[in-house]
Amino acid sequence: MSKTGHWSLRAKRIAIGGALYVGAVVLGLGSAWWVLKKAPWLNPSVEVGAWRANMHAGSQDAGLYTRATIAVNALLALGRDETMYFVANRDDAGEALRAQCNYRITGVPPQARWWSITAYAQDLFLFDAPNGHYSLNGSNATLDAAGTFALSTGPAEQAGTYWLPTSGPGALVLTLRLYNPAPALQAAPQSLVAPAVQKIGTCA
Amino acid sequence: MKNFTEHQRLWFYRVLSLLVTALLAHLLAVWAAPRAIMYVLMHGPMAQKMNMHNQAAFPEAVTAKSRTVVMPSPDMLYSVCAFDLHDGPVRVQAAPTLTNYWSIALYAANSDNFFVRNDRQTQGRAVDLWLVAASPTKAQKPVPAGAEVVVSPTLTGFLLMRVLTTDYQAEKAVLEPARRTLQCGQG
Repeated sequence: MSKTGHWSLRAKRIAIGGALYVGAVVLGLGSAWWVLKKAPWLNPSVEVGAWRANMHAGSQDAGLYTRATIAVNALLALGRDETMYFVANRDDAGEALRAQCNYRITGVPPQARWWSITAYAQDLFLFDAPNGHYSLNGSNATLDAAGTFALSTGPAEQAGTYWLPTSGPGALVLTLRLYNPAPALQAAPQSLVAPAVQKIGTCA
Repeated sequence: MKNFTEHQRLWFYRVLSLLVTALLAHLLAVWAAPRAIMYVLMHGPMAQKMNMHNQAAFPEAVTAKSRTVVMPSPDMLYSVCAFDLHDGPVRVQAAPTLTNYWSIALYAANSDNFFVRNDRQTQGRAVDLWLVAASPTKAQKPVPAGAEVVVSPTLTGFLLMRVLTTDYQAEKAVLEPARRTLQCGQG
């Protein structure tokens, strides 16, 4: 082989090797992005009904993935002693929540000093709510004779419920926050009486 | 590996090194994500605009237009401070005399919540904390005797004060002066 041919082959090998290593880095970064952004609830420590929570959120005991997941999806979370966070991105039937569908969420007030259920869009920010309703909470929830609250989400208002308007083609994420949860609930998060999440009718 | 040819062995190590590279990139990204997000929160455009470096700042009430931090609670009125202990301790004071929930939470530069104090814990008393670095700094300044000291695991971090608001417009006249009792600055 001539000297020129030798160097040409060497350059080709270096280029292919470099491309492979760049590909490996992209694969590593892409998989990290997927784990943190697209599948952030892969490692819940508690699942109750449609709701999942990671009890190490905000904690100094959080592992590598929990810390990163919380930073990406729920930055500045508090520890479970102060606040417990439950997230639902599926209904009770296991179907992914979608903003263009209507849902009815019913339950009893959780054992906490104060609580709220908030609807978030796929980008984890609030929906534009013309009625100013962003959450149902311990202050504005009306309980029926059985002590049950009811709220609805979706493009259409449902009679007899507190309506959180949602819109757009993306996902819907519900967050249940419990401020100063009762010690018994802190000790046994799975004892939460999970609000039911049911799809109503067909999607827009 | 004894039965492999030199050529096969070479390819084995090439594939292995690619997998190790991908794994390291993955782990580095997962490790760096919270730190990078916190850095942007403390030093990014919003922080610059609000002038929150060792100083309390008071963002507007949360609405659908609030798009700085994901999952903002529409029921909390936030006040913030990006603390920096490089030049010595930072003193945090607040006296929001409110009957509803409020809290002051401190976050390390890796996003860990290392301290929280809420209204029930203060029992009506004002908050007065001296935030000091866990590791010695060039500018070690003394903290007054008897002061409540909180040790921060990192030299920089973020303070987030939450004040519960069930109807901001109706409560504004009470909540705004209450949260503006927050002070955060070099002691």
